[in-house]
Amino acid sequence: MDLDWRSFLLLALLAVPWDSWAAQDDPVSSVMWEYHHARLLDGAPYVFDERIVVQVPPFAEDARQVPIQVDASAYDGEVVRILAWAELNPIAQIFDFRPGEQVVARLAIRIRVEQATPIRAAVLTRDGLWHIGSAQVDAAGGGCTAPSVVRAEAGWEERLGQVLGKRYPLADSSRLRLQVAHPMDNGLVGGIPEFFLNQAELRDSAGNSLATLELFAAVSENPTISLEVKGEGETTLWLRDNNGNEFEAAF
Amino acid sequence: MRWIVLLLSLTFGPAQAELNYELQPRQIADGVWLLQGSTDNFAQSNGGNIVNTGFIVTEQGVVVIDSGPSKRYGEAMRQAIARVTDKPVLQLLLTHHHPDHALGNQAFADVPIAALAGTRRLLDEQGEAMAENMYRLVGDWMRGTEVLLPNQTLQPGVLQIGERRLRLLELSGHSGADLAILDENSGVLFAGDLLFYQRALTTPGTPGLDTWLRDIELLQALPWKQIVPGHGPLALDAAPFVQMRDYLGWLDDVMRSGAERGAEMNELIRTPIPERFAGISLSRYELIRSVSHLYPRYEQAQMQRVDR
Repeated sequence: MDLDWRSFLLLALLAVPWDSWAAQDDPVSSVMWEYHHARLLDGAPYVFDERIVVQVPPFAEDARQVPIQVDASAYDGEVVRILAWAELNPIAQIFDFRPGEQVVARLAIRIRVEQATPIRAAVLTRDGLWHIGSAQVDAAGGGCTAPSVVRAEAGWEERLGQVLGKRYPLADSSRLRLQVAHPMDNGLVGGIPEFFLNQAELRDSAGNSLATLELFAAVSENPTISLEVKGEGETTLWLRDNNGNEFEAAF
Repeated sequence: MRWIVLLLSLTFGPAQAELNYELQPRQIADGVWLLQGSTDNFAQSNGGNIVNTGFIVTEQGVVVIDSGPSKRYGEAMRQAIARVTDKPVLQLLLTHHHPDHALGNQAFADVPIAALAGTRRLLDEQGEAMAENMYRLVGDWMRGTEVLLPNQTLQPGVLQIGERRLRLLELSGHSGADLAILDENSGVLFAGDLLFYQRALTTPGTPGLDTWLRDIELLQALPWKQIVPGHGPLALDAAPFVQMRDYLGWLDDVMRSGAERGAEMNELIRTPIPERFAGISLSRYELIRSVSHLYPRYEQAQMQRVDR
């Protein structure tokens, strides 16, 4: 067996107990890392990694619509899966994104936060290691339990699933930006059960899957999402909510 | 044990002393007084005194413009007014409903509190939440502060009080309902938050930057001699108008061009602040807030229905 430097590094990492590693290198101050590491990553090997860029505003001006942007393109071609969560949220998980070869490992979305919290993006690369990107957002809070804005608008049911979107050419890819009309009820507001978009898939013109995206109820009302796809080919985005409503948009 | 307590009280005593705004009214024209706040953000250190308020002493009595961020500020204002005139306070005019301008109302409960109809409605809708946020931001300075709604509705036009002719303008660019007051006798224009000067403007309630720009045109055309912006120093020339137009234009362009190229909010809030705005306090902080308030409108204007 020939060991290259990466394997040595991995072995060296494995020699350090994970707990002490975390305590030393966590770029944000967190009391919940161990919990989420065990629960969402099954306690698998990980590194805190500056090359996973998680962008958030320093503070949440609107706790119901906090923009987050995860960029794992430093590992383009190696990324299997990206999980994101807001560590101190009552509903922590944000998304589970599996970009295929034609999709850039980069995603932007808006979320609700209930209080100031670390935001994490865990990126699984082909070698089985989780690379953890981190950021901290300050907030007065209350975003998860605030009354619905969408439900207060007359005729929202008729607009359910309408998608506003556009394809923007970038240097070597296209950015697909979209906003889906949906209340994204998270079950935390009195008397309104969970009702939210939980599945999405980006497909090529032949219907082949380019990427899958699982969404959780931390995502804001009227979800605003950006994806980046390589090449010029037409794509469609398929969406489904937990009540089984399906929607489709073409880019 | 006792000496520890003594030592602690000596060490921290002065910091715990009575919170005092130490308002110093400054006469800027015959009978016209200004209380100028800092250009900082709300903080425990300033008690929310980041705002300009003022008053006009007429033959009949005193007309007050805005009541400040807290009950304590309103009370300090009453004391400051009493130091420069023995005439009674006749009326309080509110330029708009934002907390730094209207949460001192309790100190004026004995006189009519007048505002535009829209200001009353907005204060009724948002006052509680804004007051709560102020307690979080400045703490004990707010003690006892509660929302007190205006009890008199202002119409645009001339308000004659004694020898003074106050021209009232009903505008909306900053907060949705903005009153500007030109004292025709002295030429002092109380612009409320339609004008920020050397302090980044705030956008939580704006109907749109284009509306705001139109309001500024209207104000600039008035026969003013001095300008009291809602925040920032007194001006004797058109500099606040020039700066506002430049800044609003820049903000609009950041978001319009951002939306055209499909930029994300997190990309826009990192936009470099132009060198010419280096003297404007809090521009990065307010850019982050403005992108949150306004960018969704610019985005939606760019996108089309793509569902099928």
